[in-house]
Amino acid sequence: MTATALLPVFALMTSLTAAVIIFALPEQKHRLRTFVNLTAAILKLLLVGLMIRGVFQGKAYGIAFPMIPGVEFVLRADALAMLFAGLSAALWLLTTVYSVGYLENSPNRSRFFGFFSLCVASTLGIALAGNLFTFFLFYEMLTLSTYPLVVHRGTEQALRAGRTYIIYTLAGGAVLLFGIASLHVLSGDLPFRPGGHFADMAPDLQMPLTIVFVVLIAGLGVKAAIVPLHGWLPVAMVAPAPVSALLHAVAVVKAGAFGIVRVVFEIYGLETAGALGLLSGLAAIAAFTILYGSVMALYQSDLKRRLAFSTVSQVSYIILGLCLAGPVGVAGGLVHLVHQGVMKITLFFCAGNYAETLGLHRIDELDGAGRRMPGTSVAFTLAAFGMIGTPPLAGFITKWTMGTGALAAGMDWVIAVLVVSSLLNAAYFLPVLRRIWFGEQKDPWREERQWGRSETSAWLLWPPLVTAGFLLLAGLLASAPFSPLGWVELIITREVNL
Amino acid sequence: MTLWLMAGLLFTPLAWAVLTLLTGFRRGRAITWLGIVIQVLVSLALWAVVAAEGGFQYPLGGWQAPLGIELRMDGLAVTFVLLTALVAAASGLHAGFYLDPDKDWHRYFWPLFWFLWAGLNVVWLGNDLFNLYVGLELISLAAVGLVALGGQSEALRAAIRYLMAALLGSLAYLLGVALFYGQFGSLSLSGIASALNQDIAVEGSGFALILMFFGLALKTALFPMHRWLPPAHGIARSPVSALLSALVVKGSFYIAARLWLELGATLGSLALAQLLGVLGGMAVFWGGWQAFRHSKLKQVVAYSSVAQIGYLFLLFPLTWNTTEAVIIQAQQAMTLQVISHALAKAAMFLSAGNLILSVGSNRLNALAGVSHFLPFSLFSFGLAGVSLMGLPPTGGFAAKWLFLQASLATGQWWWLVVLLGGGLLSAAYVFRVYRASFVEDSDIDHFFHPSRRLEIIPMILALLSLGLGLMAEPVLSVMALAFANGEGT
Amino acid sequence: MITASLLLMTVVLPLGSLLLAFRQRWQKVYLYSLPLLPVPALLAGLNAELQNWLELPWLLLDGTWGLDDLRQSFLLLTSALWATAGIYAIGYLNTRKLRAFCVFWALTLTGNLGLIISVDLASFYSFFALMTFAAYGLVVHEGTAEANRAGRVYLTIAVAGEMALLTGLLMAAQHADSILLTELPGAIANYDRSWLIIGLLVSGFGVKAGLPFLHFWLPLAHPVAPTPASAVLSGAMIKAGLLGWLVTLPIGELSLPGWGNTLVVLGATGAIGGAMLGMMHIRPKTILAYSSISQMGLITLMVGAAMANAAQTATLLTAITLYALHHGLAKGCLFLSTAIKMPAERRSRRLVWLLIGVPGLSLAGLPLTSGAAAKLAMKDALKPEQYDFTLAEHLPLIMSAGAVATMLLIWRFFWALHQSVRTGPNHRCTWLGWLFATGCSLVAVWFLPGVWTHSGQPWFVLTASEGWSLIWPILIATAMSIGWWIARGRKGSGVD
Repeated sequence: MTATALLPVFALMTSLTAAVIIFALPEQKHRLRTFVNLTAAILKLLLVGLMIRGVFQGKAYGIAFPMIPGVEFVLRADALAMLFAGLSAALWLLTTVYSVGYLENSPNRSRFFGFFSLCVASTLGIALAGNLFTFFLFYEMLTLSTYPLVVHRGTEQALRAGRTYIIYTLAGGAVLLFGIASLHVLSGDLPFRPGGHFADMAPDLQMPLTIVFVVLIAGLGVKAAIVPLHGWLPVAMVAPAPVSALLHAVAVVKAGAFGIVRVVFEIYGLETAGALGLLSGLAAIAAFTILYGSVMALYQSDLKRRLAFSTVSQVSYIILGLCLAGPVGVAGGLVHLVHQGVMKITLFFCAGNYAETLGLHRIDELDGAGRRMPGTSVAFTLAAFGMIGTPPLAGFITKWTMGTGALAAGMDWVIAVLVVSSLLNAAYFLPVLRRIWFGEQKDPWREERQWGRSETSAWLLWPPLVTAGFLLLAGLLASAPFSPLGWVELIITREVNL
Repeated sequence: MTLWLMAGLLFTPLAWAVLTLLTGFRRGRAITWLGIVIQVLVSLALWAVVAAEGGFQYPLGGWQAPLGIELRMDGLAVTFVLLTALVAAASGLHAGFYLDPDKDWHRYFWPLFWFLWAGLNVVWLGNDLFNLYVGLELISLAAVGLVALGGQSEALRAAIRYLMAALLGSLAYLLGVALFYGQFGSLSLSGIASALNQDIAVEGSGFALILMFFGLALKTALFPMHRWLPPAHGIARSPVSALLSALVVKGSFYIAARLWLELGATLGSLALAQLLGVLGGMAVFWGGWQAFRHSKLKQVVAYSSVAQIGYLFLLFPLTWNTTEAVIIQAQQAMTLQVISHALAKAAMFLSAGNLILSVGSNRLNALAGVSHFLPFSLFSFGLAGVSLMGLPPTGGFAAKWLFLQASLATGQWWWLVVLLGGGLLSAAYVFRVYRASFVEDSDIDHFFHPSRRLEIIPMILALLSLGLGLMAEPVLSVMALAFANGEGT
Repeated sequence: MITASLLLMTVVLPLGSLLLAFRQRWQKVYLYSLPLLPVPALLAGLNAELQNWLELPWLLLDGTWGLDDLRQSFLLLTSALWATAGIYAIGYLNTRKLRAFCVFWALTLTGNLGLIISVDLASFYSFFALMTFAAYGLVVHEGTAEANRAGRVYLTIAVAGEMALLTGLLMAAQHADSILLTELPGAIANYDRSWLIIGLLVSGFGVKAGLPFLHFWLPLAHPVAPTPASAVLSGAMIKAGLLGWLVTLPIGELSLPGWGNTLVVLGATGAIGGAMLGMMHIRPKTILAYSSISQMGLITLMVGAAMANAAQTATLLTAITLYALHHGLAKGCLFLSTAIKMPAERRSRRLVWLLIGVPGLSLAGLPLTSGAAAKLAMKDALKPEQYDFTLAEHLPLIMSAGAVATMLLIWRFFWALHQSVRTGPNHRCTWLGWLFATGCSLVAVWFLPGVWTHSGQPWFVLTASEGWSLIWPILIATAMSIGWWIARGRKGSGVD
């Protein structure tokens, strides 16, 4: 047991330990809890940072032990894992800061932060999982730890949303379990491996493998909110803003998308999946989801619901990118994993700020909010433009890379999808921006809270500003080595054998 | 050394039963706790012995079978012994704080508790059919008595109903035993098995087996013979419910499983195997559905037991006429299911008891606000629920995984419906409880806060059931060793 | 080295100026700093080391910035116009929403200048988008219902245009396997589906350039913006579309008569149709916006010709550049003049009218103005005998008709301005900005590189036939205007 073996475990333990400590702390110990939270978040970021550096230098981190007969528990840090782990660690810190501000003076904070930490631990576990089984373990842990967050408010609406959420995700989990178990019976315990395991499979395996693939995608697709499995996502909006931010940007939907990435790349292998004719079907579904989500977003009058449908749409970019099956297209998909996370978390932070500071939830109430809350609104604007795919923001890098990849793969229709989706994104984001910046405030703010000279609490203001900065830099400095794009290129040269 | 351990294991409970019979509640409690310590230590020591040296047959008092009582100490048995020690210890400790010492009749809890424990150990270790019967009876009578401790007339009614079912079950089982004896002239399981292997006439033995299965299934509350269980488990005091659900029903199931594994290959049939499996599957759905519908907390948990027991019966179809590897897989699955259900259900009943104590009502909707003011008990309940749902990394999940593997490997895909659907259904009723507790309708803490001691016990059990999934491999390795080794020695 | 830092400052200075928006009380300072924002660009344009690319490998997808002939001229035009309009803005704006105006001004300016100095696609497209979206803020600045409507139309068409561009650029870049703009035309020329890329690029940039049928936003949006913003929108931003065409289309790579015909048709429609539509309006700024469409139509003719005949590219590019410079500056002055309040005193009023009139007539090609040079260069470049595409023989006719239409529209503008102009004092900076712009249009334009000569001779050397060819359309249009005016019985409804 060297330090290299244990580093992933330590990283996992930071948030788990934080969760345990927080659960044990009495509700009133706010300062101590905040301290524990932030310490753990920073520590985890450091550990993940260490691992990122190590992986960059070519070190391997990992641990494995048998769990159930025939199955191993495997944690492993490869470049792909670090993409997701880095995202979740960085955004966890920010979301923690944000939540501290957001939940000020609200009850049940102990419960909230406890489950919050569990949720992040699960996310990290998903990133570091070295085989499908371990992945599933954390995948379900994530389901469970997010439920209390979704129903946190305890209102009738929240409880209903929680029910929908849990029905969808648990059913998806059951389907996924079925897929994993079937795969296990077909070919034993499969660690994630670049290039997959079925490069030269027996012909009689083709049919079962195809079915299993469909089952796996259906199971993962629930969390990734692929239409028609997306129903939970817009409903889950009733959760507090940091939770929505986390669900949409890092944890839940990304877990699904990341799982699909793992299955396609490292279980089946891109070539095999392509040869089985699976990618074109997946691409079609992803494309439909992209468009459907955007169209639905147009019709939402509640800001967070609109953002939710936007997530439905955006997450499928990742999947569509994979289906392009070329180095560039795949890069576009993978880099969107980070880009979408950063952009969407910014949007949700901002939506939360409007709700928390001014009591605004509906889009038509936002008139003139830009003047009252310029910092928040600038962040929101950047993120919205990023979503539209406006250069030089992160979203543009995604679209550009994916577009180039699509052309390289000869899938020109993907360009049409990208363009229509961008148009729709513009159609549902620009009116919001117009209201924020150019609308004339008609009614007094619903529930305005004052924070002296600042537009809102510093805890609430800085996280979106920082993430907005990220998304600007992720686009502007896309060619720098440690940018998301740079890292994704590293993944592709190293781990996606194309 | 082994002698002392075996003696300790079997006779301490009986001795303690007598001792506590003579004292009041408080003194009984003190004595019991001392006994619990002894029992746990003995169980651990035995486990260590078996883990190190493998299983062994132990002729009690030095007489060999068929005259004497022969005990069979293999990995599976010792694991269950340890499990019993754990759950009984937890329930006993919990009961010491939970039961009201001022109610006179509560003093009988201790002797009944010890009788129950003795009966369980007999069942785990017994190697001949009559011994098993004795153990079974001991368990049933003690259990009925414990249910009756609830005190109200309802409890008595439930107890009597339970008694009837138990007696009927015992009768059927005894009849089967008699038939076997007539046929083979032996009551030893291994004796009958070796006789069967030598192709001695088996006519009528199938019927005997079916009779015994009927009796055992009735005692295990297999659907549709489950009707006695929910009222009994629901009305009993929580530590009692924990004991009943976690251990008592497993006793009779254990005997059925032993019978099947040793005699099933020759005496059983595909139809019987599938029938038992189907009944198990129906139990999963019916129990789950009833648990989902009921509005009283303990009824929910009790019906959940009906459902969880159903999974166990998948053992029968999955071990019928298949490869050794799959049989082992199914056995491992069953074992894990027994252990994890025992731990989880005990945790659940104990924490449900705490919750009821806090809100002063058995109704689900009384739980509103609990997650705000009593997160700890709810958390134990929730963790236990996770295991029941069969989500990773719990023992319940490990069991489900192995069942899935066995089903897929034998091509019996229909059990997937039971395994996956049942998991979802259990999620439905568990989340109903969570949901009720997350309702926020008042900011005032009007709850009674049970002591930390009461709360910590279910938490430990729940954590154990949670961790079981991660530790499944080492736990099972002890058993696998005994399965391979236990027969000859 | 200096060039590099000037190029960087071109973008960094206006972006950095956004810091001034942090405090409400700095807004006055911000306003006064507006004219300074384009100064690095101006200097960079004047001190350009051509073709000396500045590599910014970490930027976007590998940034490359720099200047060549074309970019230098456009940079000078744009920065000069932004600078003068910036001075004008100091006087024009009241304190309401000052900060917002300054922010959008700076952003639009960054985009407009940045796209000119970008040599790689990603930077170019980034700045282009920045300009597009930031300009929305200028369009709706007044906050009236009309402005909001114009803004909505603008944004809708602009976003559609952006998408056409994205698609076209993507395809081109993928085919070129390079992100450098300089590589694109060659790659497009060699592509079997070049028609698609060209179509996308023509329409994508055509939105900005006011190409007919993509122009709807232009007469709505340019006039409702605050006057200095209108000036830069119509003078500079519209040229960004043109620049886009020139740097991406496969001009000079191969001859595409089909596209030549298409663009000539579109150009003719714009040149004449734009002017005709403009006649229907009575608001001076709207008329000017239509005039822009009309003028861009004429430029489109040249672009079309360049597409049709690769051999003529060099001449045409010079003519186009000259025309763009001339139109940008003249149109800028005219827009700025719409908000000039007339002095009460008659003599100064005459002088002001004169100064308004000359750029107007320059647009129509009055000899000895920049317009004359531009028109002559255009006529020279578009001689039909150099071309063999179908519509080439109609080019002189179109140009003449365009010239008449231009003059008619200018008269309409003068008349409309006369109706709406008010008397009163002007802010010092308003004067200053306007005079600067006029100065640029009338004088400074001659000192810009590449303008000095047309067809090898100094600008003031005109042959009689050349002079006449410039004069007769003006005369015809003037006669028509007077005729209509009289026919209408001086009832004040002008040419309607």
